[in-house]
Amino acid sequence: MANEKKSGTGNRREFVRTRVPPAEYIASLVILGLLVVIGIAIAIKGRHFDPNLFAVRTDSLNSTIAPVVGKDQTAPSQAAAQPGGFNAAPAASSKPAAEKSTNLAEGSPEGGAEASTAPPKSAVKGEPLEIALAGIKPMSDTEFYDADNLFEKIDGRAPAYQGFNVQQLRCRSFSVLAAAGSFVDVYEYRFDSPVDAFGMFALERDPKGGSLGFAPDGYSGEMGYFFRQGAVYVQIIASDVKPETMALARAIAQNRAQELPADDRGLAGRRKLPAEGMIADSVTFVPENAQGQATLKEVFQAKYKFDGAELPFFIMVAAPDVAAQAWKSFQDFCGKFGTVKNLPAVNGGSIFSAQVFGKWKVVYQRDGELGGVFDAADETAAQTFVEKYLRGEIK
Amino acid sequence: MSASNHNDSSSAPEDSVSRREFLLRLGVTGALIAGSGIAARKLWQPQHFVPGFGKEKGLQLRSYAPEVSKVLPSLAIAHGTEHEKTIRAAMAALGGMGRFIQNGDVVMIKPNVAFDRPPALAATTHPDALRAVAKLCFEAGARKVVIADNPINSPTGCFLKSGLTAVASEMNLDLLYPETNSFAPLSLSGEILKEWTFFNTPFKHATKVIGLAPCKDHNLCHASMTTKNWYGLLGGRRNQFHQHIHSIVSDFALMMKPTLVILDGMNVLMSNGPTGGRLSDVKPMNTIVAGTDMIAVDAYGYSHLLERDIAELTYLHKANERGLGNINWKDTLYKEVQA
Repeated sequence: MANEKKSGTGNRREFVRTRVPPAEYIASLVILGLLVVIGIAIAIKGRHFDPNLFAVRTDSLNSTIAPVVGKDQTAPSQAAAQPGGFNAAPAASSKPAAEKSTNLAEGSPEGGAEASTAPPKSAVKGEPLEIALAGIKPMSDTEFYDADNLFEKIDGRAPAYQGFNVQQLRCRSFSVLAAAGSFVDVYEYRFDSPVDAFGMFALERDPKGGSLGFAPDGYSGEMGYFFRQGAVYVQIIASDVKPETMALARAIAQNRAQELPADDRGLAGRRKLPAEGMIADSVTFVPENAQGQATLKEVFQAKYKFDGAELPFFIMVAAPDVAAQAWKSFQDFCGKFGTVKNLPAVNGGSIFSAQVFGKWKVVYQRDGELGGVFDAADETAAQTFVEKYLRGEIK
Repeated sequence: MSASNHNDSSSAPEDSVSRREFLLRLGVTGALIAGSGIAARKLWQPQHFVPGFGKEKGLQLRSYAPEVSKVLPSLAIAHGTEHEKTIRAAMAALGGMGRFIQNGDVVMIKPNVAFDRPPALAATTHPDALRAVAKLCFEAGARKVVIADNPINSPTGCFLKSGLTAVASEMNLDLLYPETNSFAPLSLSGEILKEWTFFNTPFKHATKVIGLAPCKDHNLCHASMTTKNWYGLLGGRRNQFHQHIHSIVSDFALMMKPTLVILDGMNVLMSNGPTGGRLSDVKPMNTIVAGTDMIAVDAYGYSHLLERDIAELTYLHKANERGLGNINWKDTLYKEVQA
């Protein structure tokens, strides 16, 4: 206890000032001075925020996107520019993984060591658009978009395609070697079904387009070719109307019609629409709620010139019981909002006629086929048309 | 204990602190703390932000609008068959490009280059229109003409295929592609647009701004003309605004106060917009509309070039109701000429 150096008031130690050598004293002053300078510098720099200084540079993450074995959707970054082509600018939205997979499959220069790695299985969906034709050269990599990011390519047009269940857009540009500065764009929109593809094709159809020998659901425009092949809606768009460009556009269209698999599932209704009197390119497809009826689905419609009148005609093909139920339901609806009368059956087809909101409908059902004229101004013309159709006199 | 204390204090008398020194040091320390507080208060910026730290506050665009004239027209409609002649006629009707562009100006021209479509399909600003407007700017004394747009699709591809890269090269225009560091947060008291990333680089040195838009059908908002054209300055996933397309487009009339807007109605994309794809979608209307009120310009475009009922174009009505322009273009001082 005698050796303890404690004050008489509690356990507080006596204050003993440490002697600071002059060198340390000066060093501390220098450090303090430097801190003040740094503080002032930070204050001056911080007065004006430079967004460029803090911008995220996504290219610095390139090294982290090498494909991971067993994990889809990871692949090297986009390929570098190809001779005569162009690349996406840095700010362009990131491309879907499928495109990156394509680059990998093509062995992109940036792929480096990773390029030798086998592409992930999902790359099948992202197969590059290769066209084996002389006189063209790809301007860029194949681009891929799905329903969610389709707007990145076609912006405000995307919802129209989404309405028909688009799955994917695959597109690529090809320069025309024989015409400097000319190019041909190839767009392949893949839909859920051939019916969906037809619906979108019909919506955008050019009524003045010329028919195509190599694609029944197709037409040629002044600057391109447009057709449905299976579940794919193909657009071949030329940059100009030079003969060299248009010749290659046609060759590309023929190539795509040949390469893409034919598939007309669900298009039976389309095939049943009579050709006689049909107004060119008036065919449309309504996936559901045709004429406001929940029971009318996957309906094909077209306009016909008949006895000086223009008649809209529709056909739906379904199971016989479904068709019968839809016919009855349609009849009940017409009865609620107008007047309905049953007409004599023709060639196995039941028919009713109705006047709703001042317009005439004549609707038949025969086995699995439901159809008829709607929104007609003249009841007689509508009835005659339907009866002739059922007798096979309009084909 | 007391003896021990006494010995300790007496053994280091030179280290003890005198009352005077204690007060002096206390005063210096207090002064330093007070000084730091005052300096911090002085340096504190309530509006200052660093991304990731607190709420962001963005830039606000200044107005590039010219002084309102009670004598000269604010809207000109010119009919003709060639871009340059017709644009010259429209500008002459407004009082000449010299009314808007002065010596030494840096002019930012905002074309619509949203898609990688060829010019003939009328989905993008036509290269002949850009050439004519840039030429007029230089003739009026512009020191530099900058063109910029932020297409969602590849900007290089869009500028190349639309033919604007070639015009930029030919006319020695500064073509600014959007890059990662080209954007800054924008603040606006819009109906929908509050704070959003904005393609700011082209405006850093611009003294005048001209919107140069094609007149075309649009699947979502009926029409894309001079007001909708500013959409191309937004960054980020701007498609989310599609849910409120009319509100966002009307906000552009608040966001941007341009020097001049020019609507190219020489060839109008009448259907299947905004992308088009068929020449049959395009109709020659041989008209250029120029003016200082984008709402009035678009009102003319919608009713006379797209030939539709103005009552259905909600975004123009919204902008008109908010006092951002005059949908009744005939009530403005306008002049119609033949090139």
